[in-house]
Amino acid sequence: MELQPIHPEPTSFIRKWIFSIDHKVIAKQFLWTGLLFLLFGGTLAMLIRWQWAFPGQSVPALGPVFFKDTGGAITPPTYTSIFTMHGLIMIFWAITPILIGAFGNLTIPLMIGARDMAFPKLNMYSYWAFFISAVLVILSFTSQLGAGNAGWTTYPPLSTNVGSPGWGQTFAGLGIFVTGLSSIMGGINYIVTVIRFRAPGMTWFRLPLTVWGLWLTAILNVLFVPVLGSGALLVTLDRLAGTHFFITGGAVGLKGGDPILFQHLFWIFGHPEVYILILPAWGIVGDVLSFFARKPAFWYKGSVFAMIGVTVLSAVVYGHHMYQTGMAPMLGLAFEILTLAISVPAVLLFVNWLNTIWRGSVRKTVPMLFALGMVFVFGAGGLTGLLLGTISTDIYLHDTMYVVGHFHLTMAAASFLASFCGLYFWFPKMFGRETNPLLGKLHFWGSVIFITTTFTGQLLAGYSGQHRRLYDPFQYDYITHLRDINRWTSYSAFMLFIAQIPFVINFFYSVFAGKKTKENPWDVPTLDWVACSSPPVYHNFDVVPTVVRGPHELGNPEVKKALGKDWISQTEEMPGEDLAHAAAAE
Amino acid sequence: MKISPRKWLGARRALLPALAGFAVALTTAGLSLAKPQPGTGISLPVDASADGHRIDWLIGVTNAITAVLFVAMTAWIFIAAIKHGEKHTAKYDHGTSKRSMFIALGMAGSVFVVVDGNLFVNSTMDLETVYHNFKEAEKDPNSVLIEVNGHQWAWDFRYAGPDGKFNTKDDIVRLNDMRIPVDTPIVIEVASTDVIHSFNLPNMRTKVDAVPGQINKIWFKAKMTGEFDIGCAQHCGTNHYKMKALLTVLSKEEYAKWAKETSAISERAYDEKDESAHWGWDWKDI
Repeated sequence: MELQPIHPEPTSFIRKWIFSIDHKVIAKQFLWTGLLFLLFGGTLAMLIRWQWAFPGQSVPALGPVFFKDTGGAITPPTYTSIFTMHGLIMIFWAITPILIGAFGNLTIPLMIGARDMAFPKLNMYSYWAFFISAVLVILSFTSQLGAGNAGWTTYPPLSTNVGSPGWGQTFAGLGIFVTGLSSIMGGINYIVTVIRFRAPGMTWFRLPLTVWGLWLTAILNVLFVPVLGSGALLVTLDRLAGTHFFITGGAVGLKGGDPILFQHLFWIFGHPEVYILILPAWGIVGDVLSFFARKPAFWYKGSVFAMIGVTVLSAVVYGHHMYQTGMAPMLGLAFEILTLAISVPAVLLFVNWLNTIWRGSVRKTVPMLFALGMVFVFGAGGLTGLLLGTISTDIYLHDTMYVVGHFHLTMAAASFLASFCGLYFWFPKMFGRETNPLLGKLHFWGSVIFITTTFTGQLLAGYSGQHRRLYDPFQYDYITHLRDINRWTSYSAFMLFIAQIPFVINFFYSVFAGKKTKENPWDVPTLDWVACSSPPVYHNFDVVPTVVRGPHELGNPEVKKALGKDWISQTEEMPGEDLAHAAAAE
Repeated sequence: MKISPRKWLGARRALLPALAGFAVALTTAGLSLAKPQPGTGISLPVDASADGHRIDWLIGVTNAITAVLFVAMTAWIFIAAIKHGEKHTAKYDHGTSKRSMFIALGMAGSVFVVVDGNLFVNSTMDLETVYHNFKEAEKDPNSVLIEVNGHQWAWDFRYAGPDGKFNTKDDIVRLNDMRIPVDTPIVIEVASTDVIHSFNLPNMRTKVDAVPGQINKIWFKAKMTGEFDIGCAQHCGTNHYKMKALLTVLSKEEYAKWAKETSAISERAYDEKDESAHWGWDWKDI
């Protein structure tokens, strides 16, 4: 039997748009849900920033609607729910569905030349499991005692009934568990699809970097999300079944469970999670930089091995989140060495990006600007991480706003910008229409400038000693003078929120009324643009393409001489080129 | 040479984002290099400890190096995007020549050796000789041992009192009030009775989690007298932000006087039946 037969397109509305098994529709479902939650999580962030600028004062606009009982002010218990749900929602229900759910589903089959995912039904279950988890997390907000409020890390005993009674925290925990199921199903699908469904000639080293990033992310998801799942389940048992996995009695000696045990379970997932979110971003940016610098990606194999190196190391560095938990000094030292070692592949990857754009012919399109912006904020975030990976400097900086600024630059801002890089780049592929470049550039400059100022403000506040997660930071005398920088950082965060308005206008306008796109508007050589239409037909490729070269064949003077264009697609033959010979040389 | 106004404006427009980027880069670099008065503006809080300068130095020197790298990276991105713009012919290069790979690996390797190496060597030496060197601190006959118990949302402090034993009648027990002598090693054991807290002394550059069922240890030496904040750095529930205590560094004489008086008061207030007040533990040697 043929591996990839052409199935007839479903005709009923429900099969086509709701319970669809088409990876392109599932990608859109993830995208819409993710964008909605991005707006939700972003609004929660605005409330946090308001609280830090004007602690306890009535929130304009939102206050009278959501906090009627207090005259519009946020109370301490509400505040703990807000920052907890901001973190959880942004990580599990905004960035994960957009970067992995949407772009993973859209690009993997199209870029490797497959007609769909290996397991289309599993793909559908993955989205609907995600949907159920989204319902659970929304239900968390209906609790009288407030939504989950133990921090996104849900450290017990705070996350057990000892510290957060009510179903708010229970539903948040169950939401994490179910969204984990979705990630595992998606991950298995991605792994198998890339291994089994590559088009003829699509060797491992001809895969676009996007696919490499998503594939490595899928591996991390399948390996480490189950660990988070067991952690979340054990906490839920402590909450509902009266078990004592993480609850101890009294101050001295373990009379029950061990709260630190949970931190090991959490961070052995939690650190890879950082890379789960950033690897697809690295992949997308690696490709986009090459496409719009009109140059091959610099040292492609070096970048691939750097990404593999980071993936492997990401599994063994998690202890650096726990330096201050009373970890044995020798153990801390081991985690410190491994943590610092991760900077080698990370810097190599970074240097490869810089070299890719050097002496290029940089087309400053909207996706390219977002890619450059991602390189910039990721660089800033990476550099600020050094002080946190080192034990002695982490003693002072741990649990301060410096940590918050650092991980927002690396994980949040970088994956945010990469998400929009991907969205503008594949928008014509998804919707068959072009976005407005002027609104796109407005969106970019607003985002990148206010991301930089917002998270730099947080870094500086943390450097000056401000703790994280304080309802009113100015209770502490030694940071009362930080009121101004907190206000400026908040103003900048509000501007960042406003800077998203051009995107919303652009997105909705372009989906319905944007200019019809050309088949390959960016002149790029990968299969998603050269071998299928925009938007693609149901089965993607009428004929599964045969791949003859790598994904970044741009700027080759011989191609220009022979074909009159500065690029040659992954399937295209050059007149007189000995392809058998070229394949052997790969 | 005559430049048309349109062209000049066009060039200027391209430069604006570049200048904006440089301004951001330089401000950040400047802020990290500038040394404003401690405790005011954007700066580390006043360093009141004998050994905090080691951490401050390592943070400062790392910030200086990373600021240079940051400016270089920013400049690189802007120059590449503007100078090597659309009109520039792309150089066809897969970056796979020995020379390119050597340069890329060299850049990654040298950042690792210089920045990470410096961090690792200094951090490890400081931890070995100072921050984790409890033996040396406890050997000092004058060193003060304190047990700290965190709970929602306050800090309890316990000193052994004249008999040198913890959890006895003459213990000094204080709520949110820790007093110590200057220029004396202070060794602290920290635990918690409910959720995880983090015992933070920002002015002493030390911090450790207070974990239920586990005893963690830190030590430091204050180099100046005065009053400082003690905070909780780990989210511990609704009133996390109010979990604040006061650290008072006294002269050695004042401290001795205070300890004597307070021990006597505590002994009078001791209630054998109040079990929750006997949260202390036998001192753990490391």
